[in-house]
Amino acid sequence: MRRLGAAAVVLALVTSCGSGPAEVVDGGPAPTGVASGVPLYFLDGQGELVLQVRDTGRLGSISEAMSLLLSGPGDSDLGTGIDATGAQRMGVTVREDVIELMTPLAADEVTPAGIDQIVCTALAVHVQSGGSPDTGVRVRFTLDTPESDEVRRCPVTG
Amino acid sequence: MRALRRPLPRGLRSRLLTAFVLVTVLGAVAAAWSGAGSAGTALVSSHQQRTTEAVAGSITAVAPQLTYPPDREALDRLRQAVGGDTLVTYGDLTSTGVFDTGLITDELRGAVRDGHRSAAQRITVDGRTWLLVGTPVMATAPDGTRSPSGIEVYTLRDLAAVEREVDGLVLTAVATAAAALPLSVLLALLAARGVLRPVRDLRDTAGALAAGDLGARAEPHGADELAELAVAVNEMAASLQESMAAMERMQADARRFVADVSHELRTPLSTLAAVVEVLESSAEGTDDDTRESARMAISETHRLIRLVEDLMEVSRLDAGTARLRAEPVDAAAAVRDCLRLRGWSERVEVAAPEGIVLRLDRRRLDVILANLVGNALRHGAPPVRVEVHRLPGGVRVTVTDHGPGLGGDVLPRVFDRFYKADESRTRTPGSGLGLAIARENARLHGGDLTASDTGSGARFDLVLPDRGEGEEDEEEGGR
Repeated sequence: MRRLGAAAVVLALVTSCGSGPAEVVDGGPAPTGVASGVPLYFLDGQGELVLQVRDTGRLGSISEAMSLLLSGPGDSDLGTGIDATGAQRMGVTVREDVIELMTPLAADEVTPAGIDQIVCTALAVHVQSGGSPDTGVRVRFTLDTPESDEVRRCPVTG
Repeated sequence: MRALRRPLPRGLRSRLLTAFVLVTVLGAVAAAWSGAGSAGTALVSSHQQRTTEAVAGSITAVAPQLTYPPDREALDRLRQAVGGDTLVTYGDLTSTGVFDTGLITDELRGAVRDGHRSAAQRITVDGRTWLLVGTPVMATAPDGTRSPSGIEVYTLRDLAAVEREVDGLVLTAVATAAAALPLSVLLALLAARGVLRPVRDLRDTAGALAAGDLGARAEPHGADELAELAVAVNEMAASLQESMAAMERMQADARRFVADVSHELRTPLSTLAAVVEVLESSAEGTDDDTRESARMAISETHRLIRLVEDLMEVSRLDAGTARLRAEPVDAAAAVRDCLRLRGWSERVEVAAPEGIVLRLDRRRLDVILANLVGNALRHGAPPVRVEVHRLPGGVRVTVTDHGPGLGGDVLPRVFDRFYKADESRTRTPGSGLGLAIARENARLHGGDLTASDTGSGARFDLVLPDRGEGEEDEEEGGR
C-alpha cells in the first residue's frame, strides 16, 4: 500500500516535469534602425524647425547625419542657423543618457535655432537607431563657453 | 530474565530501514528534482533572454547601415551580422544559409508578425535542443513611434551547453541525495534499535512466562506506547501468577486432603481386615450364605486397602516425596519374578533376553509391570505377551494383549485416574489408579509409558533409562 503510494508520487513528479515542445516566450523589444533616409532639421521662412529626410537609402550614424547637416540644406528653400565653415566632421560620443557632440564651430557661428537643428537631428537619428527619446544632447563648441555644458532637448520632439 | 539469544527477527528492523531509505530517497529525489528543475528553468530562461538580447543587439548595431527598402545584399549583410544559422526575409526576398525554413513553427511566425517584440521558442531537432529566435526589425520615426519594417530575422542558437549545465545540476542533486542515504540508514538503525530493544525485552519476558517463569517482568522504558505495553504485560503476568498460585494452593490442599484421608482410613481398614478374617474362620461350618458374606467382606476390604494404598502412592508421587531406590536389576528376571509372585506365569508369554541389567528401582518396576500385566489380563484377552528389548542406555518393555483394544475415545484417557473404559462395568477388581501410578513411576525413572492400539488389542510401551551410579535417592519426583 505504502509502496503503491510512493510509486504514485514518483509518477506524478515524472509526468509533471515532462519535456514537451516549449511555448513561444517573449524576447524583449524588437530591434530597430532601418530607415530609407537621414532625418535632418532645417529652418523654414519663419525660422521654425522643419524635418527634411535626406533620401540616402539608409539611416546611417549620427556623425554622418551631422556631416549632412553641416553641409547645409542644399538647393531647397530651407535655411540653416549654422554658418558654413567648410568643416563637416563632428565628433560624436553616445553615453547612457547623453549624446556629446564635438562641433567644429565656435558658439557665435551658430544661432540658437541652429543649435536646436543640431540637437534635433542628433536625437532623431539616435531614436531611429533604437535609442531612448529621453536622451539629452550636449553640444560642445570649439571655444570655451558655458553653452558647451548645457544638456539640451529637441523642442520639436520633446 | 531468560537469556534468549536467537538470531534477530528480520521483520521490524528491515521494515523500518526500508521505510527510512524510501522516505529519504523520495524526499531527496523530490527536492533534487524540483531544485534542479527550477534552477534549470532559471538557467535556460536567462540564457534565452541573453540570446535574444544579443540577437537584437547585433541587428540594432548593423540596421542603420542597411539600405531600406533592403535589397538582397542588405539582407545578406544582416544575416551575416546576426551570425549562426539565420534566415532573413523581407516580403518575397529571402536570405538564408543552411537554415531550414520548415523549422519555424507557425506559433513563432505568428508572434513575430503580430507583435512588435522578439520571440523565442525551444525546439528539438534530432534529439538536440535549439533556441529558435525570431524578431521583426522595426522602423522608428524621429518622434519615437515604431512600425514594422517588414524585415524578419529568424536564427537558431544551440542550447547544448545550457543543457549540459542543467544535467550537471541534476547530477549534483542526485549525488547529494546519494550522500544522504548512509545517514538515513544510520538514523533508521538507531530508530530501529530504540523500538526493537523494548520489543525484544517484551518477547523475552513473554517467552520466560510461557516457559513457566511466572516471576518474569518486562522493564518499561520511557513513557511511550511500548512502555505502556510493557506495563500491561507486567500486570497480566502478575494476575496470572496470582491465579496460578491460588490454583496451586487449591490443588495442594486437595492432594493433602486425599493423603490425609487415605492415611486415616488405612489403620481402621487394617483392623477391619483382621477382624473379617477372624469372622471368616469362625464362619467355617455355618451355612453357605454366611460363608459367602464373610468371603465377600474380606475381598471388598482387601480391595479397599489396595485402593487406599494406591491413593497414598499417588499422593506421594503428586507431592514429589516419592524417592527412587536404584539398584542393579535384571529386566528379564524382574518380569518373571513379577509374574510368578502373582501366579500369572502360565497365562502370559514372555520374550525376555537374559543379561539386560540396569540400575532401576526394583519395587517401582514391579509395580509398573504388575499394573500393565494385570490390566491386560483383566480387560484384554489372551494371549498376553511381555517383550523386553534392550535400548541404547535403557530398556523397553512392551505388553500386548488381544482384547478389544483401545478405542479412539479411550486412548487419550487411558492413563486418567479412575477412568473406566466400560461405564457399565463399575465393579472391577482394579482401583482405577493402576495405569496412572504406572506412568508416574515410569516418569519418576525419567522414562515414559505410552499406550497404543495394535488393531487386534492394546499395547503398552514402557521405556526406562538406565539410572547411572550416584543418581539414586537424589532424584525428586514430580513433573
